[in-house]
Amino acid sequence: MTVTFPQKGLPWLLLLPQLLITAIFFLWPAEQALEQAFYQEDAFGLSREFIGLENFADLFSNPLYYQSILTTLVFSFSVAIVGMSVALLLAVMADRVIRGKLAYQTLLIWPYAVAPALAGVLWWILFDPSMGPIALWLKSAGVDWNHYLDGSQAMILVVIASTWKQISYNFLFFLAGLQAVPRSLIEAAAIDGASPFKRFWTIVFPLLSPTTFFLLVVNLVYAFFETFGVIDATTKGGPGQSTTTLVYKVFDDGFVGLDLGGSAAQSVVLMGIVGLMTVIQFRFIERKVQYS
Amino acid sequence: MTDVILEKVGKTYPNGYHAIPSVDLSIEEGEFIVLVGPSGCGKSTLLRMVAGLESISTGELRIRGERMNEKEPADRDIAMVFQNYALYPHMTVYDNMAYGLKNRGMAKDLIAEKVSDVAAMLGLTELLQRKPRQLSGGQRQRVAMGRAMVRDPKVFLFDEPLSNLDAKLRVQMRVEIRQLQRKLGTTTLYVTHDQVEAMTLADRLVVLNKGKAEQIGTPMDLYNKPATPFVAAFIGSPSMNLLDAHLTEQGITVSDELTLPLSHPHRGAIVWGIRPEHLDVSDEHNADFALRIQAVESLGAETLIHGKVETTSGQGDAMVVRLSGPHLPDINSLMWLKAPAQYWHLFDAVTQQRL
Amino acid sequence: MIENRPWLTFVSHATLLTGIALVALPVWMALVASTHPASAFGVGHIPLWFGDAGAETWGAVLFDKAGNGVDVPVWFMMLNSLIMALGITFGKIAISLLSAYAIVFFRFPFRNLCFWIIFMTLMLPVEVRIVPTYEVVANLDLLNSYTGLTLPLIASATATFLFRQCFLSIPGELVEAARMDGAGPWRFFFDILLPLSRTNIAALFVILFIYGWNQYLWPLLITTDDAYYTLVMSIKRMLSVTDGDIAWNQIMATTLLAMLPPVAVVIGMQKLFVKGLVDSEK
Repeated sequence: MTVTFPQKGLPWLLLLPQLLITAIFFLWPAEQALEQAFYQEDAFGLSREFIGLENFADLFSNPLYYQSILTTLVFSFSVAIVGMSVALLLAVMADRVIRGKLAYQTLLIWPYAVAPALAGVLWWILFDPSMGPIALWLKSAGVDWNHYLDGSQAMILVVIASTWKQISYNFLFFLAGLQAVPRSLIEAAAIDGASPFKRFWTIVFPLLSPTTFFLLVVNLVYAFFETFGVIDATTKGGPGQSTTTLVYKVFDDGFVGLDLGGSAAQSVVLMGIVGLMTVIQFRFIERKVQYS
Repeated sequence: MTDVILEKVGKTYPNGYHAIPSVDLSIEEGEFIVLVGPSGCGKSTLLRMVAGLESISTGELRIRGERMNEKEPADRDIAMVFQNYALYPHMTVYDNMAYGLKNRGMAKDLIAEKVSDVAAMLGLTELLQRKPRQLSGGQRQRVAMGRAMVRDPKVFLFDEPLSNLDAKLRVQMRVEIRQLQRKLGTTTLYVTHDQVEAMTLADRLVVLNKGKAEQIGTPMDLYNKPATPFVAAFIGSPSMNLLDAHLTEQGITVSDELTLPLSHPHRGAIVWGIRPEHLDVSDEHNADFALRIQAVESLGAETLIHGKVETTSGQGDAMVVRLSGPHLPDINSLMWLKAPAQYWHLFDAVTQQRL
Repeated sequence: MIENRPWLTFVSHATLLTGIALVALPVWMALVASTHPASAFGVGHIPLWFGDAGAETWGAVLFDKAGNGVDVPVWFMMLNSLIMALGITFGKIAISLLSAYAIVFFRFPFRNLCFWIIFMTLMLPVEVRIVPTYEVVANLDLLNSYTGLTLPLIASATATFLFRQCFLSIPGELVEAARMDGAGPWRFFFDILLPLSRTNIAALFVILFIYGWNQYLWPLLITTDDAYYTLVMSIKRMLSVTDGDIAWNQIMATTLLAMLPPVAVVIGMQKLFVKGLVDSEK
């Protein structure tokens, strides 16, 4: 039981700024999105009419939307799986070494601080078909790289840029997870004659599963919502629709296409997805608390 | 002069739990009162009600005649020493002790004077610029006491202040607390679950059980004339032997077949008690009963012998005997014992009251 | 590790060094590129070592107008970024400290409801409510203003939860001792709670500064006036040139300048950064 102060009005005063900002900039827009999703507005915002679920019906009968869902899934899982695999490899190595652990950590974590948009720009230029060094190397190796024309190559590019930034985060959490594995377990396995490789897959990796699951969720959320900058600063969803993720589509349809109703309907769908992911994340965290 | 009065003070939690039905207690000025009882008996709740950290549901608390129920803790002119010391970790020893005085708006030089006086009294002068984490357990304990003392309060409240210290330090601090309290003459309310601490510190003890004051009295009162079997068992170590018995015209029947002659008007189920140190070794002809020895604990200065009252059924009650000096009787052998009648304690088995 | 296998140790170091090299590659290339004149590009080969146009490029980038419709120099946009980052950071910390304080140390009706309202902000990232949030800010006449850049972003469920955890770990006896010492709610907040939360505040500061500095979508939406451009968002305008005459060296230098402050914070305050990252995920 926590000790509390008896004042009754003061807590409201303390909460006021947070609640006001939440109400004005979060709840109100969310409500507007909900409302707008059921209306059709002309491009100049002069008139609007109630159309019920029509925006949603349009959305779910539009093959482009399904394509965007597919794009998002491919993109997100690629980012999550590539990023986590590389980070796990590096974390296992960093956990093994005795000397220079902190130096390695420092040299691996800094990309976390790079804005997604900047990460996109850096890789965009490295892969530029006419002057990017990597594109030129690829060309000399026989790969015709042009992300302006080839949708899959554009996708690979945004995956690399997004993953690059996220490796540091995954690395830190995997390293912490590895350091939390009880040494006595590994020693027991070593005495039982398990090789380092076998020990990793039979002892360490299963014990890391909470961390792995946690990171999977975090990475998916990251790829879904925080990579807007990567895409907007580089491919702008193209070529064609090949890198238009759901979040980018909300922006594109709303601000560029000025289809406010459709954009709002997409917002509503996305809110549902975030809600779901948040619940999964919190469920998991509750379990994590029980484990420890 | 009566300093602190608790009149029918009770506590009911919002969830309906009746923690303390009603306690009456009046404390004289300068008295050292110890609230003692097992965990969950309500002793800390009672102390916190006096402190103002818990509200008083029923009854009235008066300090020097003034009603305190509605007053903030800071306005009750009391000071408290907490179990975990509750020192502010980011402040130096000096600031810890001065904080309450600063909040009261006392002048800086006066604060400095008070703090250095108290620090000198407690041997903390050298430590005033240290942070709590740089202190040992005993030193932290002293700072916590110093923080209470600089305030020069009407009442000191202690909430199990020694329970986090090791055994040796606990004895030392116990003596110190008693000496300081004598010297300062401040009325003190002290909570502990340790009956040795309670007996050695208290002018008067309040034995609490399930929120009720079982008995209030001096340590010797409680030892010699416990009012209930609970008090009898709680005070004294090892605990008093308490046996279910029957009082008849012939006397007291123990373990179904053994009768100790006694003429007493009461009839029926009783609890018969005798302290381990009041049982004497005797011989077969003069003894009241025999004990089948089951275990012997030799402590050098004394020996504790655990056994069962020897009966034909073999289902006799367990008893402990305390003998001074070393003894090495064989396990399973019989020991003949005399239980002098002047040391008997008789309680009504139903009302639990002393007969 | 347990067994002494030198080749395994060698493999570990080799893998880590490769990882570091790959991670650093784009930044290295950018750094090299920024030291060559723009004319060095587009001829089918890229320089791999530093050129001698570094001082010229960096000077031009920092102090000349950025170009491509951006009429302010980079140093000016850095200042805007700094104002936005610090505004968001301090704002978030302040209002989250206050809300967590209210939720942990007071009992009042609808306490849980307030907690859930704050929690809901987690489910509504700006990316999913772009258009209506823009409209709200436009209605409030906050477009092209520092208030508009910061205020809508300072509600924070994460920071509130973090401080709540931190406050809950403060022993109740300490609060009681403060009350006995005559400390009211404000005194307790400033004398006891803030000093005790110092490390948590610092750790959160690092994370939030990075968050604030790296804002991209929000400033992109609400600023049309160069005077409020932030560096990270402006990179897009500099890239959007129709002809092939992009000043690559300058864009690289600008990109490096845009990432420098948060990267410096991470490296300089690594311990706090790691703590902040781990704490804010609890």
